[in-house]
Amino acid sequence: MNKKLKKSLLYWLFLSPLIVLILFPFAVMFITAIKPSNEVLAPTWWPQEPAWRNFIDMWAVTNFGNALWNSVYVSVLSTMLALAVSIPAAYAMSRFRFKGQGFFRQFLLVSQMLSPIVLVIGLFRLVVWLGLLDNVNSIVFVYGAFNVAFTVWMLQSYFSTIPKDLEEAAWIEGASPAKALVMVFLPLALPAMTVTAIFSFINAWNEFVIALTMLRRQESYTLPIQIFSLVAGRYTVEWHHVMAATFVATIPVAIVFAWLQRYLVRGLAIGAVK
Amino acid sequence: MIRSPLTNPYVLILPGFLLAAFIILWPLYQLGMISLNEVNRFGQLRGFNDAENYIAVFTDPDFLGALWRTAIWTGGIVIGTLLVSVPVAIILNDEFYGRSIARVIIMLPWAVSLTMTAIVWRWALNGESGMLNSGLQNLGLIDQNIQWLARASTAFPVQIMIGILVTIPFTTTIFLGGLSSIPDDLYEAARLEGASRWQTFREITLPLMKPFLNISIVLNMIYVFNSFPIIWATTQGGPANSTDILVTYLYKLGFRFGKLGEASALSVMMFALLLAFTILYVSLAMRRDSK
Repeated sequence: MNKKLKKSLLYWLFLSPLIVLILFPFAVMFITAIKPSNEVLAPTWWPQEPAWRNFIDMWAVTNFGNALWNSVYVSVLSTMLALAVSIPAAYAMSRFRFKGQGFFRQFLLVSQMLSPIVLVIGLFRLVVWLGLLDNVNSIVFVYGAFNVAFTVWMLQSYFSTIPKDLEEAAWIEGASPAKALVMVFLPLALPAMTVTAIFSFINAWNEFVIALTMLRRQESYTLPIQIFSLVAGRYTVEWHHVMAATFVATIPVAIVFAWLQRYLVRGLAIGAVK
Repeated sequence: MIRSPLTNPYVLILPGFLLAAFIILWPLYQLGMISLNEVNRFGQLRGFNDAENYIAVFTDPDFLGALWRTAIWTGGIVIGTLLVSVPVAIILNDEFYGRSIARVIIMLPWAVSLTMTAIVWRWALNGESGMLNSGLQNLGLIDQNIQWLARASTAFPVQIMIGILVTIPFTTTIFLGGLSSIPDDLYEAARLEGASRWQTFREITLPLMKPFLNISIVLNMIYVFNSFPIIWATTQGGPANSTDILVTYLYKLGFRFGKLGEASALSVMMFALLLAFTILYVSLAMRRDSK
């Protein structure tokens, strides 16, 4: 047996308990989702016959479509809001030295540390004051603002890897800063902005406390709140529908994430090493 | 340099600063005010009351219990994550067959919302029909169903285990970044000198990883301290408040019992604690920068 194969087997053996624990919830989700309703409470692993219909029935029973739409709406708009204010800020942080830069960096750091839960009562009053309670737009606003720290940090570390000379050369050639930005800088920064946008999207997609507090009617629920409402404080839970819903809500994000995670490793490494 | 709004850093950072400041400073001011006032459950202030809210929080036995459990929760998850993530990162940094698959699997919990993870575990841990019990019975490891979430003695450790599982991806990622920054020739030189694997780990890997270990510990402390969905979606702090940590206790105070004054006082104290963590983090980061 060659050395690398031996090492690989040893490594996989060592990782296997962790891998089993990680994959276990996915197995639970999938197996429960395809159990017929009369077998859900039976303590068996495999269903006699898979009930694929659950995935269709779930849609109506769990109000899935509406919650999905709310989640997409909130995640897309809050990501756009965060990027719209973060791209210029990150550009300034990576390109210029100015008074107050350190203060701004520390301010972002503190806002990154503060989870919404600590401010939730104050945020609740803010949303009431703005007249946005039970309105998905309140969530767009809060998520967008809380994402600013993360997006500035990610973008700034990427922007710093784009040579400054390129834009300065364009300025010397007579291009206005706006033109240099659009023609030279933004095309180079596009991959970074895409990756940052996707992570900001996932953050918003998964957020729980703020949505739980600000949204009161089922019509405005996002996916995590909708699914939570199906299991919280109920005597009978339709677990096969709930698991079908979590499965459908989880798999697309997991696939995108699996594809992107190497970019995240690189982004965090750049951010952490700098 | 060309003068233009696009080359003026203050113009560029202003929108981001205002948005983030609005969402933090206004609520903070509100929390401070409410915490010092007598307040009814509709949030109307009834005049200053000499820190009575703070005293009420401190003399509540549920608060002391939640405080103690927050320490166990945070410490348990941070230390547990560290003990798993260091060897996992070292393995994932080495070449082996199927490494990219292993990386994807270990990062996977990161992509799933904590709420969904917690709901799936709540079902898997169900006493009668949960798949964990039936799986363990099939393997012959237990002969009787365990009511995992109905007793504090099993519920809280299980919640900590879930917390460790979902904290591993982020921590491992930071360590992978750290390991990739260690130059290979250091290891080659050590090997030429005849150092054992354990010696190279202790003398090279560990010292050079130290800044990354520090930062991951402080960041994880902050994230775990604030973590709400796992406990809320599995037990909502029950049975009988026995799995409450500060954040779930805060949420109950504010939104279930309507004690807004006490909840705000607790928020302000938690903010102060987090600020202390943040200062610790900044000083660690600074020390690393100055090296």
